[in-house]
Amino acid sequence: MRRVLLLALGGLMLAGGAMADVTGNREAGRKLAGQCRTCHGLDGKAQMPIAPHIGGESEEYLRTQLAAFRDGTREHEMMTIVAKNLTDQQIADLAAWFGGHKPTATLKADPAGAPEQCVACHGPDGIRVIDEAPNLAGETNIYIDTQLKAFRSGARKNDIMGPVAAEMTDEEIRAVADWYAAVGIEIEMVE
Amino acid sequence: MNSRTIVAALFLGTCLATPLAAQDNMDKLTSMQRTDATFTTIAQDDERAAALKEILPHLKVPDGFAVSLYAVVPDARSMAVAPQGTVTFVGTRKDKVWSVVDRDRNRVADEVKDFAPSVTFDLPNGPCFSPDGFLYIAERNRVLVFPAAEFFFEGPDPAVGVVVEKGKLIPAEEESFNHTARVCRVGPDGKLYISLGQPHNIPPVDKHEMYAETGIGGIIRMKNDGTEREVFTRGIRNSVGHDFNPANGDLWFTDNQVDGMGDDLPPGELNRQTKAGQHFGFPWVNGAVEIPDYKDVPRPEGVEFIAPAAEMQAHAADLGMRFYTGKSFPEKYHGGIFSAQHGSWNRTTPVGARVMFTPVDAEGNAGAPEVFAEGWLDSETGEYRGRPMDIAFLPDGSMLVSDDFAGAIWRIARQAE
Repeated sequence: MRRVLLLALGGLMLAGGAMADVTGNREAGRKLAGQCRTCHGLDGKAQMPIAPHIGGESEEYLRTQLAAFRDGTREHEMMTIVAKNLTDQQIADLAAWFGGHKPTATLKADPAGAPEQCVACHGPDGIRVIDEAPNLAGETNIYIDTQLKAFRSGARKNDIMGPVAAEMTDEEIRAVADWYAAVGIEIEMVE
Repeated sequence: MNSRTIVAALFLGTCLATPLAAQDNMDKLTSMQRTDATFTTIAQDDERAAALKEILPHLKVPDGFAVSLYAVVPDARSMAVAPQGTVTFVGTRKDKVWSVVDRDRNRVADEVKDFAPSVTFDLPNGPCFSPDGFLYIAERNRVLVFPAAEFFFEGPDPAVGVVVEKGKLIPAEEESFNHTARVCRVGPDGKLYISLGQPHNIPPVDKHEMYAETGIGGIIRMKNDGTEREVFTRGIRNSVGHDFNPANGDLWFTDNQVDGMGDDLPPGELNRQTKAGQHFGFPWVNGAVEIPDYKDVPRPEGVEFIAPAAEMQAHAADLGMRFYTGKSFPEKYHGGIFSAQHGSWNRTTPVGARVMFTPVDAEGNAGAPEVFAEGWLDSETGEYRGRPMDIAFLPDGSMLVSDDFAGAIWRIARQAE
């Protein structure tokens, strides 16, 4: 586990380095978010199953993912197009807007049943413990399932998630996805 | 598959499955054992239903028609009305297939509950029926068959067979979430026709040959036991709706075009296929529009690209479609195509979220598409009230429109005189 956290820290410093000197402007981010809302909602609560909830993610995570879509290291039918022409400043603005909302998770199950390989970074209720990890609370199970399989196959790359997913069977992946999908999520939009 | 094959398959399943540890309930179900699965039931008379009814005054249908709320169905996607018309099976892009039941035939659903809760579904978007009542469900990467689903849906453990095993529809590493909503139809030849969207905006050049062989970016067909699979339709980007013209057996399908080329390019497509193996041009072209990424990639030899039969507004996202075979709509609609526009996702000014009608004449040619129903898009704010996804018809000839945004099935019927 210490190795995992060290790796996480390393990733954080690398990703942060690229845009560390850019400060996001929430007002500008709110305007830009018009092009995100059909799928993600203005508050970052997903409007359709294929989209993740992005309201209240860490700015760090949002910046890293948008930059990865932009440079092609993460690929998606829609996000690749949307991110292609974003500037560093626009990415920072969007991250500031969506990162500023407040997610609240409601875990109905016994936290002791949470998937043990996930909780150190994602928490038992799917609210992140470290800023490099996304919140998973209330995501569609097929979204989480799809991402874990992409980490396993190498289609989506991450130093921590690659090795974690490599050890998982389809059934284990689905069980983890079902756990976090069952958590209730509310996102309070912060202007 | 006739019923004898199914019984034989089930019996075989029993012999094979017994010594193995159950991975999921498929082992139990194929050997006719019970599981402890329970139903999820969706309330039809709560605040959600009331909120949906408030959308109705915004919806616009032609004179002489009326629109109503048929059912509250979360994430409602492609639909299959069972032969008796009692149950409509509705796929989702999540993990449920819904049974929408109208026992008393008052054209409002009495009950909505999940179908086969014992089965762990994975993106079961596409249900379709054979004329003799076998329900096929095309998932992300598996195809299942449920014999007599219209009768067995009452219990949590219906009989089930596997048509295409998990991981055999497409290579697992090509699984995505977005362009992965399968649609199926049983053709006039009794074979299964299943669309396979390609999982990119534009496929990487080094993958297009493998995709062409697999049928990714196409429609495949196979016998109803999964054998004799072949690529029937080539050169599609991401089709999420197809149907056969009952008059002559032509296959028609919608396609969703490339994003990132501007608000008005390329136009949406309604395509007509008259022969097996025809190529519709993607990824070299979308209709008359060339895709720059494939400018220098050699086109398949000796292949003519078939142009769309009708063009639709760019980015309106034409999805589910069906020929009108009912009688209760006026004559002008008979034999034509109704299709659902899901609505755009990144166009500067949103468009779509409508039901379109395209006439088809006696020679099987398309006329000009027209708007049949609209109002799911709030043109002032650009926000969606709902997003039509698929079209189906009840035995009385009235139309069902699924809506995965509002979580509803709307019904459009000829108004009583």
